[in-house]
Amino acid sequence: MGTYITRRLLGMIPMLFFITVAVFLMMHAAPGNAFNSIMNPAIKDPQALIASLEAQNFLNKPLWWQYFHWIGLFVTGNWGFSFAQHAPVIDLVGPAIQNTLILSVMAEIITLAIGIPLGVLQSRKPYSGFDYTTSVVSFILFSVPYFIFAILLIYLFAIHLRIFPAQGAVGTGPNAGSLLDHIYHALLPALSISLVSLAFYSRNTRGSMLEVSRKDYVRTAYAKGLMEGKVFSKHVLRNALIPLITFFGLDIGNLVGGAVILEGLFSYQGMGLLTISAVNNRDYNVIMATTIIFAVAVLLGNLLADILYAVVDPRIRYN
Amino acid sequence: MAEPLLAIKDLKTYFISKDMEVRAVDGIDINVNERQIVCIVGESGCGKSMTSLSIMRLVPQPRGKIVGGEVKFAGRDLLKLTEKQMTDVRGNDISMIFQEPMTALNPVLTIGEQITEVLLRHRNLTKREAMAKAVEMLQFVGVPRAAEIVHEYPHQLSGGLRQRVMIAMAMVCEPKLLIADEPTTALDVTIQAQVLELMKKMRNDFNTAIILITHDLGVVADMADHVVVMYAGQVVESVNADDLFAAPLHPYTKALMESIPSLEEEKETLYSIPGTVPDAAAYPVGCRFADRCPIKQPSCYESMPLLREVKPGHLVRCDLV
Repeated sequence: MGTYITRRLLGMIPMLFFITVAVFLMMHAAPGNAFNSIMNPAIKDPQALIASLEAQNFLNKPLWWQYFHWIGLFVTGNWGFSFAQHAPVIDLVGPAIQNTLILSVMAEIITLAIGIPLGVLQSRKPYSGFDYTTSVVSFILFSVPYFIFAILLIYLFAIHLRIFPAQGAVGTGPNAGSLLDHIYHALLPALSISLVSLAFYSRNTRGSMLEVSRKDYVRTAYAKGLMEGKVFSKHVLRNALIPLITFFGLDIGNLVGGAVILEGLFSYQGMGLLTISAVNNRDYNVIMATTIIFAVAVLLGNLLADILYAVVDPRIRYN
Repeated sequence: MAEPLLAIKDLKTYFISKDMEVRAVDGIDINVNERQIVCIVGESGCGKSMTSLSIMRLVPQPRGKIVGGEVKFAGRDLLKLTEKQMTDVRGNDISMIFQEPMTALNPVLTIGEQITEVLLRHRNLTKREAMAKAVEMLQFVGVPRAAEIVHEYPHQLSGGLRQRVMIAMAMVCEPKLLIADEPTTALDVTIQAQVLELMKKMRNDFNTAIILITHDLGVVADMADHVVVMYAGQVVESVNADDLFAAPLHPYTKALMESIPSLEEEKETLYSIPGTVPDAAAYPVGCRFADRCPIKQPSCYESMPLLREVKPGHLVRCDLV
């Protein structure tokens, strides 16, 4: 297992290299740069200023030169400076990752804590009144885009009931920035994502449970005299969760990605918002940093899913 | 005569859906004495497997339903027990092994976990004691390296070994009755013989009665004390094994015997019974075998023949013999 993980981690290096090349090229293929939009009437000769800023940031050098210059610095931990926000990239990315992680971990917890038990309960009494009503609700939740829920939740809890904040990742006042304050601000956005994905998880759990409960080894378990509850918890559930690991791995990859539209709606200062504003401003260094973080997260999420497979399913061994 | 260990009377198991009723088991009577090996023979879809699942009350839900009859086991009607009482019987008094050893074991649990589970359910043992007993039982059924295999998973074992594990699992509580639903069909011939031998040993050493479901008359000749031939959800012939092979009476049984290739005779083509089994959702009023029967009479289509004792201990469902 150890050698397998090492091999996979080493395999990520060339993949990340190609990702950075592709993103770098695409970014520079887009017209304009961070300094084109300088339009302060107080500046006498904006063209000269733009030219000097470009020269200062090596934007007049050939592309390949810029790329190797950037990557040379990046691997030594120097992630550069944001053109638009006038701050080191690391200082921008740090808090954004933290905010996004709080949001997405909360969303993941709500999703799994409700979605899987709901699917299990539905599968215990399939085609019952409970199953039908919760299934219909799940379908509705799953068919509605999450930003619709975001707007509804903001309207209900922030504007109407005034018990949750409508925007921001932290509040003001003595407790600002505490974990509780973070959770308080992340709850509505987290719920907006969860409502969709918990519906997805419950549908898949239900289907997987029903499929496994028809297997021969489940009949064997009954033939041994085990009670129904034990058969489900020990024999059905464990086998039914195996296919869900794929989705879980994808979720892990998205944990730091942030939901762009959602963070926009809630003005939640996470990775999504940071990336979008960087793209709009052609803020190359920020885009490169966030892209690499996304890529690493997705690759690690896939690796984690593969490791989890081996943990729960003895038929899967990496040697 | 002593009371039989298991007495099935007029058992009916139907699959009921909105617009049809499939009579999988349609009023069968079977007796099994202690230490007896009873073979239930018949072609696919004749209700053999449903009979065994009905005894265990494990008929597929929600459509399968035991609609009538009686399954008396050691004096109690199993059909009248609560589900809780029934779980005490399963795996403890009556065990079952299935056709496909490849799929009948849980792929994510070790062999040890799956065997000790039965002991922990029915016997007051610690995990350690249960594990020791599991190893002992595996050794008894001829599994090599038993102490290591308890920590292995089903996919690491061959089909024959898995079926031995299944037998060990079924026998670990020393049940009075073992139901084996085509236990050798999925195995190759040499392994088949070993598994059958093992089942005989189980009967001899644990005094376990066995219901062996099969469509292989070779297996029947090798194993059976008593044979029950089923056709279209009914018993058509029931007699001890020697008499059955010496003189089968029901035309269906005779036709089955005809279909066995023989080493002595040279035949161009193998005999097969013409026609097909009637649809279980629409059985005819008369004899269910009539359409395929070589000796049929017009009267056969009029009313269902009863299972009657033609000779002492020899029951046949045919009015013409």
